[in-house]
Order: sequence, then C-alpha cells, then structure tokens
Amino acid sequence: MLHAGGSLTREMAGGKAWGIQRMLSLGIPVPPAFVLTTDVCHDYHETGRVLPGSVADDVRTAMLHLEERTGRTFGSTERPLLVSVRSGAAVSMPGMMDTILNLGMTPDVEAALAAETANPAYAADTRRRFVDQFENIVGTPPPDEPWAQLDLAIRAVLDSWHSKRATAYRHSRGIPDDGGTAVIVQAMVFGNLDDRSGTGVLFTRDPLHGDPEPYGEWLPRGQGEEIVSGRTDALHLGDLAVQLPSVHADLLAAARVLERTAGDVQDIEFTVQAGELWLLQTRAAKRTPRAALRCAIQLHHESIIGVAEVLDRVTVEQLRAVLRPHLDPAAVSESSPVAAGKPACPGIAAGVVVTDADEAERLADAGRPVVLARPTTDPDDVAGMAAAVAVLTELGGSTSHAAVVCREMAVPCIVGCGTDTVTALAGMVVTVDADSGTVYPGELAVRAPVASDDEDLVTLRRWLRDAMGDNETAVDVVDLMKRYQARRVAR
Amino acid sequence: MTSELLRVLQTLRLKGRVLPADLAAATGIAESRCTAMTNDLITSNHAEEVRGRLKLTVDGRDRLAELLAAERETVDHEAIEELYAEFEPFNAEVKSLMTRWQLKDHETPNEHDDPDYDKGVLDGLNELDARFRGLLERMVTAVPRLAHYPARFAGALSRINAGDHSWFAKPLADSYHTVWFELHEDLIGLAGLSRAEEAAAGRAE
Repeated sequence: MLHAGGSLTREMAGGKAWGIQRMLSLGIPVPPAFVLTTDVCHDYHETGRVLPGSVADDVRTAMLHLEERTGRTFGSTERPLLVSVRSGAAVSMPGMMDTILNLGMTPDVEAALAAETANPAYAADTRRRFVDQFENIVGTPPPDEPWAQLDLAIRAVLDSWHSKRATAYRHSRGIPDDGGTAVIVQAMVFGNLDDRSGTGVLFTRDPLHGDPEPYGEWLPRGQGEEIVSGRTDALHLGDLAVQLPSVHADLLAAARVLERTAGDVQDIEFTVQAGELWLLQTRAAKRTPRAALRCAIQLHHESIIGVAEVLDRVTVEQLRAVLRPHLDPAAVSESSPVAAGKPACPGIAAGVVVTDADEAERLADAGRPVVLARPTTDPDDVAGMAAAVAVLTELGGSTSHAAVVCREMAVPCIVGCGTDTVTALAGMVVTVDADSGTVYPGELAVRAPVASDDEDLVTLRRWLRDAMGDNETAVDVVDLMKRYQARRVAR
Repeated sequence: MTSELLRVLQTLRLKGRVLPADLAAATGIAESRCTAMTNDLITSNHAEEVRGRLKLTVDGRDRLAELLAAERETVDHEAIEELYAEFEPFNAEVKSLMTRWQLKDHETPNEHDDPDYDKGVLDGLNELDARFRGLLERMVTAVPRLAHYPARFAGALSRINAGDHSWFAKPLADSYHTVWFELHEDLIGLAGLSRAEEAAAGRAE
C-alpha cells in the first residue's frame, strides 16, 4: 500500500507511485492505491513470465484495503469498486502500457452503478470507455470476471517492459534493460458522476510566460484522460472557483504545498467527485524557455529556492531562446493561425508558400523568400529546402527527414501540421514561428529582444556576476552562463 | 546496361541538381563512363545541365518511371517485402541516432562540445552499420541495381570515423543520412508503396 511517510524509492516504485506517496505524506487527498514494485517485474521475467506466488495473495490483501478505504467492493453489484492500472518505470518511455481506467467493470457492475447513481448514461459511458481501452491495450476483450481482468492488466504492464518499442527506446538511449516497471493499482474516482464532478489540470504558474498565477483547465463531468488530450470545450480554472469555491480553494492550497516542497513549478492532474477533491498526479511542469527563466527567478523572490539553484536551473539554450527574435505579441494576438504543428527547428521567417521543390528553387533564385510546404519530404526536396526560408510538413514527427535536414541547415521547420493543411496555403504569404510551431497569415512584425531591457535577464546577469567574482570579464549573459557552468563542472 | 542507366536516372532524381563528379561517385560508375552516359541523356533530352549541375527533364522523369515499373516486374515481390520489413527496425534506430546527434533532448541542440556524448552516438552508428551490412548485402543480391549502396555507406562512415562529423547528416552530400534516406526511398519504390502512405503509417516521415 502507498501511505503517508512511506519509504519507497523512485527506483522501486517508479515516478508515478513515488509522486503519490509524496502527496499522501503531505496530507493531500489522493485516491487509495498500492504498487507492485520493480522487483516483481524482475521475478516475473526471470521465471519466464510467471507471477511470483506471493503476489496474488498480496494483491488480494491490498485490494481489501482499497475496499475498506473507499467503502466499496471489487466486482460487487452493490457499491462496486473500480480501479485504474498503470505502469510506472523510473523513466517514462514510449511503448510501455500506459493506463487502463475503470477496471472491474462488467455488465452487472454497469447495472449496479446505473442504479446507484440513477444515471444509466454515465454507467454505460464508463463501461464503453473501459472496454475500448482494455481491448486496445491488452489485445483481447475484457473477461466478465473482474479478478481475471486485473490479472490480465497487471501482466500486460509487466509484458510491456519488453515490448519492441520500449526495448528499442532503451537501447537508443543507453537505458539498461534490468530497471523494470512497477504496477500501480488505484481506486477510481469519477469526474463524470454528476454536476458537482469533473476533471482538470493545474499548472502552479503560467507555463508559457512564467507569470506567478496558477493556470489551468476544468472540464465539468469529464474523466481523466480527456483533458490531457486537449478537449476544446474545457473551461478555465476560474470557472471552478465560481462553481465549487471550496474545492478551488483546497486545490490551490494543495498546489502551493506541492510547489513549495518540490521547489519547482508543478503540473497537477485532479478530479472532483460529487464535490470532493482528489489529486491524481503531480510532476515538474514542462515550460517555455521564457517561463523557465521567469519562474526560477520568481521562486527565489518567494524564498522557495536559493540563487545557486536558479543559476543551476536556467540553461544556456533557454537564454538563447529568450534572446532570439520573436513575433510582436500585439501582432500575434490580432492574428489567427492558419496552421500549427510540432516545432522541429527553431526560428522565424516569412515568405510565400510553394508546394513544389523546383518552384521553391526558382522563386528563391529570383530573390523571393519562399516557405516550402510538403505533405512529407522526399530526398529530391532537399535542394528546395535549402533554398527556402522555412519548411512545413503535414506528416511526420521530430525525427522525420524534414526535421533532420532542416536542423542540419538551420532552416526553421514545423512538422506534422496535419493532412491537407499547409499545402492548401499555396500562394499565400505566411509568417512561420517555428519556436511555437504556429503559422500566421501575412507578414508579422518581428522583435529583436535587448538583454538590457529585460528585467529577468538583468537580474540573472547580476546574480551570475556576483557568483563569478570580480575577475570575470564576460559581459554577455549567455557567455556568463557558459563560463559559470564550465566552472561548476570543473569543481 | 539497364541497371546502370536506372541507377544514374534515379540518382539524378533523388539528388535534384548534382555535379557530374558527385554523380559518378554516388552511382559507383567510372567517371568517364558516367560522363558518356550523361551526354547521351542530354542528347536524348532526358537530362539537362543547369549552371554546371545535372538534372532530369520531364522526359527523363517519365523514362525513369517506365524503367522502374519494368524493374518491378522482374523483382521477387515477396523477397522485397521481407527485406523492407527487416529494414524497418534499423530505420527507427537510424532516425533515433540522427536525432540524438542533433538534439540532447527535445529543446537542447547538441553543440558537439561533449566528446563523450558524441562518441556514444558515433559508437551506436558504427555498431548499427556492422549489424546492417548483412541485410544490405541481401538487398543487393535481390536487386543488383542497389550495388552502389555498400560503398557509399562505407565512404560516409570512414569520413566520420576519420573525424569529419559533418558526414553524419549533412544534406546535399553523400552523408550517412543522405545515403540512408535514398536507400529508403528506393525500397519504398521497389515495394510498390508511396512515401505518403508510409509516412501516414509512421514508417517513413
């Protein structure tokens, strides 16, 4: 069982379970959960994919605890308990089984939930999601026996450690094969239960600009995975404050505690079930280079981290990105994007869209800036890519041919914009912001930042100079940071 | 010899505009013979010279398409499909190596200031190349036109190992990435697939 004050390490329990243990230790409401540690994964694979005998008993005992804590019973037709099953390697990797929600669901359980909630649509919806997800991930339809479902799901997690994709990923990154994955089983809470239920994400600070206000989305009557996949009908966090003020206040209080104890901006997933708040996950938030700089400085101003910590966190690349020319925010806010995808090579450029590499070369030779837009790039597009000021593709990710070639030539590039998106812009003049992955119509104004006008950079530069002593002659903030880091490594 | 002609036409297509000396090196055909062939192609209006570089004309592209279609009639389709399936995991590895060579993580470019990091990636490439050679030999056996590839890979790798790391991924030159990508394009064509379909399936992007 995961409990407050638990001593499981990240290696044994994986990142997710370790985060749950941390929240419990801080007195934050988390649905009860237990974890099969990475040792179980070792034994399972060492004995030719056989679960150690004691594990079945341990799972039964732990499930009893979940039942006691929730007052619900697994597989029962009266107040049935449903659980989620997740993988939990110390580092997350593609190819690992991710999550099965609502496990324990059967036709009888659906009927019981429908009666309990007087909401048959909700119960049917929950079962439909479960069957889809189970089939998708385990590869067979779920059996009607909940314990058999649990057994299959646990094995699917353990097996996924040796999936082709996960193995290839580990080899490519030099991650050893013997780490193993943990399995986390957690009682479900339901954001789709009633009008006082929902799900959301909260960033403790704005991950785009770094402003010190919480930032997030709230999806009434939504369940876990929906908000993560970017539903368009999600509301702002402020709407939660109006709808359920005490939940909103509790959430912000928990977020502050988590940020302060972790010493970093947190990305928190939460669910509200019938007016009761539950936190599902917390982790360090991904953020833009600007937000990384501003948050580090703000965290110091709020006495959460020291100056040395700030200087260690901000990277040379983040400083370079902050100093790169960027689009005038006023122009951006007045414009609506005509396409968007994954940034593959940073930079900003404007030009006329052409869809043919030969034409790109011809127009570029004639002195016109061109943006080459292709469904995907072929080898014979390379000459056209070299002539273009920016490249857009409809298919492919950050390891695609277009991405590799553009990075090599330092041509701004956005990939994976979607079928029939960018090629449909042929003939139009556009501005490509490959820092954010957005394409705007027309030619937008570009601003070149000046380090001495930027309050965050001025502060950072002062701290770097203080840390380096009087002998330091470098004046540029990027140079200062490089030298500071070189000195840290040398020590 | 049709396979040599096909090789010259296909290389012209893949490279877009190419210097005559580079064309000979990439096709593995002696320079004098290659010059004679390209002169014939220019005379027959299949190729043209633009500012010292050779490129295919529309007629040349049509001729290439005909020859490729004829070649498809003669190859063992099942064998090609199997070879392509074996190529796939190698392709994923090469893409991953390329990305690691360029990026330390998704927003940190590799500035090549950490010799240990670079050595890790280069060791990975050498190790992959050694494992890939057997499959490449079998590809050449199945489709003799592909016989110029082993020497091109070896050429790029020996330049990298001699310290010129630009031969890892440099575009518009016969770098390891360029040769790999051209081979992939040839395999897609031989298997009767299209790049767009393959990209949509996540196998070629």
